[in-house]
Amino acid sequence: MFERRAKIPVENRDYAVFYIVFSGILFVGTVWSVWDEVRTRRPWKDYQAEFYQLSSEKLDSLRLASLQEVDSTQVLELQAILKKAEESLTSEEYRKAVADKDQLSRDLDIATREWRFARSRSDAAYYQFQKAKLEGRDVAPYRKEVDEHEASIAKHFAEKNHLEMKISGLDEVINKYKDAHAKAQVELQNVFAQAVAFGAKAENMRNNPVTVRQVMLNDFELTPFQEIKARIDRCQTCHSGWNDELMAEAPQPHTQHPVPELLAKHNPESFGCTPCHRGQGPALTEGFAHGVDDHYWETPILRGNDVYATCNSCHTNESTLKHAKPFVAAKQIIFESGCYGCHEIKGFTDLPKIGPPLNTLMAKTQPEWIFPWVRNPKDYNPHTRMPNFKFSDGEAEAITAYLVSVAKQSSFSFERPRGSFAGGNAAQGRQIFETIGCQGCHAVGNATTVRDARGTTFDIAPELTRVGSKVSPDWLFDWVKNPRHYNNETRMPSLRLTDTEARHIVAYLMSLKDNRRFAPASLDLSNPEKITAGDRLIREFGCAGCHSIKGMENEGKVSVELSDFGRKKYEQMDFGDTHELSEDDTVDYRENADGTVSVKHSWRGWVYGKFKNPRQYQTERIVQKMPVYTFNDDEVKLIRLFLISMTKDVPLPTYQRTYDKRMQDIEAGRRLTMTYNCIQCHQLEDRGGYILPLYQEAALGPPPLPESQGAKVQEPWLHSFLKNPTTIRSWINVRMPTFNLTDAEIGKIQRYFLGLSRQDFVIRDYAATPMDQKYVEPGRKLYEIYQCAKCHPTGSNTEGLTAEFLAPDLAKAYTRLKPEWIIDWMRDPSRLQPGTRMPTFFTEGQEAPDPSILGGNNEEQIKALSTYVWILGRRSAPVVTK
Amino acid sequence: MKTIFFFAITVFCSAALVAGDVTGKVSFEGKPGAPVRLRMDADKFCAMAHKEAVLSEELVVNKNGTLKNVLIYIKEGVGGKKFDIPKTPVVFDQKGCIYMPHVLGVMAGQELQVKNSDRTLHNVHALPKVNQGFNQGQPVPGMMKKNFQKPEAPFKVKCEVHSWMGAYIGVFSHPYFAVTGDDGSFTIKGLPAGEYTVEAWHEKYGTQTLKVKVDATGKATANFSYKAG
Repeated sequence: MFERRAKIPVENRDYAVFYIVFSGILFVGTVWSVWDEVRTRRPWKDYQAEFYQLSSEKLDSLRLASLQEVDSTQVLELQAILKKAEESLTSEEYRKAVADKDQLSRDLDIATREWRFARSRSDAAYYQFQKAKLEGRDVAPYRKEVDEHEASIAKHFAEKNHLEMKISGLDEVINKYKDAHAKAQVELQNVFAQAVAFGAKAENMRNNPVTVRQVMLNDFELTPFQEIKARIDRCQTCHSGWNDELMAEAPQPHTQHPVPELLAKHNPESFGCTPCHRGQGPALTEGFAHGVDDHYWETPILRGNDVYATCNSCHTNESTLKHAKPFVAAKQIIFESGCYGCHEIKGFTDLPKIGPPLNTLMAKTQPEWIFPWVRNPKDYNPHTRMPNFKFSDGEAEAITAYLVSVAKQSSFSFERPRGSFAGGNAAQGRQIFETIGCQGCHAVGNATTVRDARGTTFDIAPELTRVGSKVSPDWLFDWVKNPRHYNNETRMPSLRLTDTEARHIVAYLMSLKDNRRFAPASLDLSNPEKITAGDRLIREFGCAGCHSIKGMENEGKVSVELSDFGRKKYEQMDFGDTHELSEDDTVDYRENADGTVSVKHSWRGWVYGKFKNPRQYQTERIVQKMPVYTFNDDEVKLIRLFLISMTKDVPLPTYQRTYDKRMQDIEAGRRLTMTYNCIQCHQLEDRGGYILPLYQEAALGPPPLPESQGAKVQEPWLHSFLKNPTTIRSWINVRMPTFNLTDAEIGKIQRYFLGLSRQDFVIRDYAATPMDQKYVEPGRKLYEIYQCAKCHPTGSNTEGLTAEFLAPDLAKAYTRLKPEWIIDWMRDPSRLQPGTRMPTFFTEGQEAPDPSILGGNNEEQIKALSTYVWILGRRSAPVVTK
Repeated sequence: MKTIFFFAITVFCSAALVAGDVTGKVSFEGKPGAPVRLRMDADKFCAMAHKEAVLSEELVVNKNGTLKNVLIYIKEGVGGKKFDIPKTPVVFDQKGCIYMPHVLGVMAGQELQVKNSDRTLHNVHALPKVNQGFNQGQPVPGMMKKNFQKPEAPFKVKCEVHSWMGAYIGVFSHPYFAVTGDDGSFTIKGLPAGEYTVEAWHEKYGTQTLKVKVDATGKATANFSYKAG
């Protein structure tokens, strides 16, 4: 075709076809580019329109509902009133008044005009009069004329006034009718006010402009080059309903934020969305905004619980956050599993080793137990925190040999002669074991209530189901009597057992045996080569990360630092021999029927696989040392959540909560209470109290430690109580253990409680708190009338008490409680301690139950009662002001 | 203005429909077991307030083989309609260290008069899950006014001083509820014609539901039956 065309002379060639085709393409291209720019790339416009539509529909239905709620009889009444008012507007009196007013108004206009004319005429006459006077002419006629005009002014003015008064009289009549009508109208409108308001809102919604909504944080974070970097979030362009209660059930992207409480502190209008949710803030299409379609976007959106990972950016130092349960649970797993023994982890420094020291093992057990334990601890105790290192028999033997050689060098001896344990009764031992609180930490057989309440696959203290096969009775007696004798850093507290009680418990625990034998017939433990091999293995596998072992004091952490692990690229990860799961698969990890494993080749998939089996990615050539844990899927996900948080991307300080002295005190206390497992028994800051399901009623278990604890007890009392606990609640069988806390540790607990209560550590002489004499006698009477003694024993006086002792001894109150707290407590006990059995006797705004004393004034009666309680048990006279 | 009239008319029409009653019985099959005697020795006052043995009200089977203290209420069918809250308060008494009545229903917002007719200390510890709970001491005979703002399934009320004391309160958004008495029968009055789900609640044996239709004759029956065990 082109050949033929080439033969045609240039000036004769026809270009029409080309012109039409190319201009056609150009036209289509232009139309497409405009369409793509305005529609395709702006799906948010549709979302927003959809949101306005949805919202206005909801408001409309609310309007209808509110109309239906209107009281029909009231409407009818109001309508009748309005009708009557309307009718009365046609009444004779009203019409006449209006007509009269019309006529009079016209007359008034005339009168006013005449009055003004008269004034003008008077001014003119006066001018003539003055002129005549200056020119020396006769002024009398002028004077007369002025006077005449003045008289005319007065006449017209009087007429005008008269008319005005008449009109205002008529106005009163007219307004009476009009006001009644307007009032009836307003009242009828008021009935529908709510409906109208909803209608107006719906109308507003329909008229809202479709626009990009963005939040700009100019100084949010630093780039890797330490320059200030802004952050721009446009998420709210599509997620318009985040703050709209009506959208709680709406589909995405319109739905309300599911945790509005969190937004109170992290307002998306000033804080944006991506600091928590990640994603690509400025993008305006779903795939790119969520960072999913953008393969190289480093921080794709976090879904489900994973979003709580970003709490750690700012709250690294805090182990508890009120509205971030998954974050708290994840940190608790990291803390309790002792991950920091092998890994350097931001926020987990200076923590005690989680395992016991291994220098005096021979006093406690024998090599036949140590060997199988080293080989696989889960054989003996499936719920132990000690992971399985998958040592071979030879390796386990070598490690056992090293540990035994260390133990042989120790000079440990029992506090009491061998055999002191003898003579206990197992049944009684069991009874003691089950009542005094041992079960708060130790599971035995089927008694796993506390483990179940914790919801973890691991225990924080050894399960004792087979303890008789492990320990020697001499050691056990020594241990339960005084755990710190064997291990002066142990978290196991003393329960202040008498010798008899300890013997019973030893008898019970030694009866918990099984006959399984895991050790080979003979262990070669004295061979120096074996001992050297054990030494090498212990160093290589980092046993000293969790245990103190003689000779290993200077060993560092054996594994990688995790503080920036969250930013590791999956390209940097080795997936060993595992198969790849497709990106669209619903799970991250799958165990195949043929024994192989498939994981998603992504960061998330790798981590998941790693925690399902830490030796997963081992190959013939690549050896892995991380031991095998038995975390369940939920725990693996929480650990992954925590690892997601391990990045060095931290917002600038202005966006962070200040980690002030109070927060530091609180956090130090939290760590201490976690270390000593206080939360196993006590509820503290919304968690813990795992022992409580053992009791029919919460009041029969260990008391909760509410946020007001610091405001409740006197510091000196708390100090001596923690040093040497005494009985406060005689109806509770579980014993507060003696932890042998140091003064510094007790100080931490004091400051923790005071910090939660927002009180300062003040040195006070509580005994010298002055009391007002005038309250003593009314207080005594009220104490009697309100029958406080029915539940509260006082000293030895238990007369009048009902069958059970329900409440603490008030004779001890003055040495234990803060006087201000007693007053607060009596105002409303349930507010300070939800679930307490103590009732309130005083209701705000109502008279006290007995109005005859102190005028029935609640506050006065509370003062009187607290005064009486304060002096109740005192031997010395209190300081009294008259 | 048109909408106003429209709604006025519809509301007016629906109110004009016939009102009917749901009646029925709650029968009990099987052996209830020996009644449990309450031991009130803990408080002399309580023990002396009764000449005869006081039995637990947890399970009371009437002479005619019916079950007492079953709370019957309309569960579905009333819709979101609003009802006037009765001006008359419901009385909840503590007499002889027993709650009277043992099971009661109130309308949300209706006044509950909690009386102490005993010369001893009681505390009324209401344990609702939806409503605001309270734990109030009543050391002297007297009365306090309470109310619950939201509808809620029956919840327990107890007294810490006297461990045997217990009662249950159900809160409703409508006035259609009743408690079975000594003959095990109940009547729910004034229901507009329509289809309803009626639920029976017993503290030991839980809930049962039935569907009933109140037609133009204005009568409907709902008989429940609980089995021992």
